[in-house]
Amino acid sequence: MQPAQRPPWLQRLANPLNLVALAFVLMVLASLPVLEGSGRQLDHWGNLTRFLGRFFPPDFSDWRHILVALGETVQIATMATLFAFVLSVPLAVAASQNMAPRPVVLCMRFILNCIRTVPSLVWALIAVSAVGSNALAGVIGLTFYGMGYLGKFFSDAFESVNADNVRALRAMGAGRWQAFQYGLWPHARPLIWSHTLWMLEYNVRAASIIGYVGAGGLGLLLHAYQEYGQWDRVCALLIFVLAVVIVLDAVGEWLRARVTS
Amino acid sequence: MSLAPAVPTSTTSAATDCICELQGLGVRRGEGRWLVRGLNVRLARGRMVAVVGPSGAGKSSLLSVMTGALQPAEGRVLYCHGHEGASGSGCAGPSIPPGDFHQRMGIVFQNFLLSENLPVLTNVMCGRLGRHTWWRTFFGFPRADMNDAMRFLCEMELGRHAWSRVRDVSGGEQQRVAIARALCREPDIYLADEPVAHLDWPLARRVMARLRREATEHGRTVVAVMHDPALVEEFADDVLEMNRDDAAGWTWRPVKGARP
Repeated sequence: MQPAQRPPWLQRLANPLNLVALAFVLMVLASLPVLEGSGRQLDHWGNLTRFLGRFFPPDFSDWRHILVALGETVQIATMATLFAFVLSVPLAVAASQNMAPRPVVLCMRFILNCIRTVPSLVWALIAVSAVGSNALAGVIGLTFYGMGYLGKFFSDAFESVNADNVRALRAMGAGRWQAFQYGLWPHARPLIWSHTLWMLEYNVRAASIIGYVGAGGLGLLLHAYQEYGQWDRVCALLIFVLAVVIVLDAVGEWLRARVTS
Repeated sequence: MSLAPAVPTSTTSAATDCICELQGLGVRRGEGRWLVRGLNVRLARGRMVAVVGPSGAGKSSLLSVMTGALQPAEGRVLYCHGHEGASGSGCAGPSIPPGDFHQRMGIVFQNFLLSENLPVLTNVMCGRLGRHTWWRTFFGFPRADMNDAMRFLCEMELGRHAWSRVRDVSGGEQQRVAIARALCREPDIYLADEPVAHLDWPLARRVMARLRREATEHGRTVVAVMHDPALVEEFADDVLEMNRDDAAGWTWRPVKGARP
């Protein structure tokens, strides 16, 4: 017997993309209550303008301290990006379907997911508990956090490369590492640089926060300013961070245009 | 039924200078139709073999089986190290599966499979990767390899493109880069899938003549999938013709005006 013909709307639904879209719509409906807030009648706009008003005008009188802390923040971000880069390349190779055997890939992805699950602030807390309250803790914390992301990004980049190149070199007598270096790496390189630069920029922003838990850099100052209610100084500090982020963004764009052309 | 003898060989001499033997080889497209069955051929050193046949006859699949990229449905491909052992020229018979013979194969892939972001010269030198350890090639290739690669590139008339990236040169030029990479390996056997498909006729002749020299002067075997009958007649020693409609209907014949 022939199965009954399904109505057209049901047929259109039986498509993974549409099912995901439907699930998302249901999630949005179920999530509406969080927009309610405390439910009390408060003067939201008044609160906001009063608080933000204390940020202006920015107070740059503490610029020496800010510059020193900013330098340390950039140092933390630089070292953390370097270590995360070096550590995540082998992790990414092990997490790439076109290079590692399936069980290794699944295991590696689980580990990377675990690393990514822990927020950078918590990684910094863990590092502070191990090496004490200093910049090294920041480097260690952000290294772990960055490893989770770069490992994921790099393995995606490796998987986007056609592995036939690698197989071709292997069939011509090249060893595993040689086939990787000459067959796969040149193709993934633009993406690798792009992601690493993004990670450096992210690390500068993250390194400005992790001082809150004692891991060095701007966060320590930020914490002090907050304790004393010196919001105009917080504003000055944020302007410094903004300058660094803008510079990094410009450098990144300049470099990306050259490595991806 | 095949009209060919049970074991046609590409030479009259004994099995000692045989490099590759296809034993009762059968290749299928997935679980589908048979492309070739009962293929028994012995390939000798220093010969140029043209694989011909209509599109879809399984020429590329046969070559993939010979490189070890594809598993045959039945039978096997065996290779033989020639110039080893105390007796000078000989092996008892082919015994090495394709997977263990990669160090002596020079492959020209149909779609080239070059590293497109790397310079032309580096791609040619990649033919030498198997000769070095990974730490020797980590920061680049030895000077001697670079000189040789440059020589092969000039023979392929690509000297002025040496430092261009592969993606920036034309399809015909990429094809010659792939051939130069295979030449750079200095292998015992070339397995080339339509090596001159993207070249104009005079250039195709010059490239085929260069591959011909590998067989005549260096005693290396060249197996090439070819389409142009004129090129086959001019350069090949033997022809393996595949039949699209009858998998067992392959034929093996020497080229009429074959060189002694």
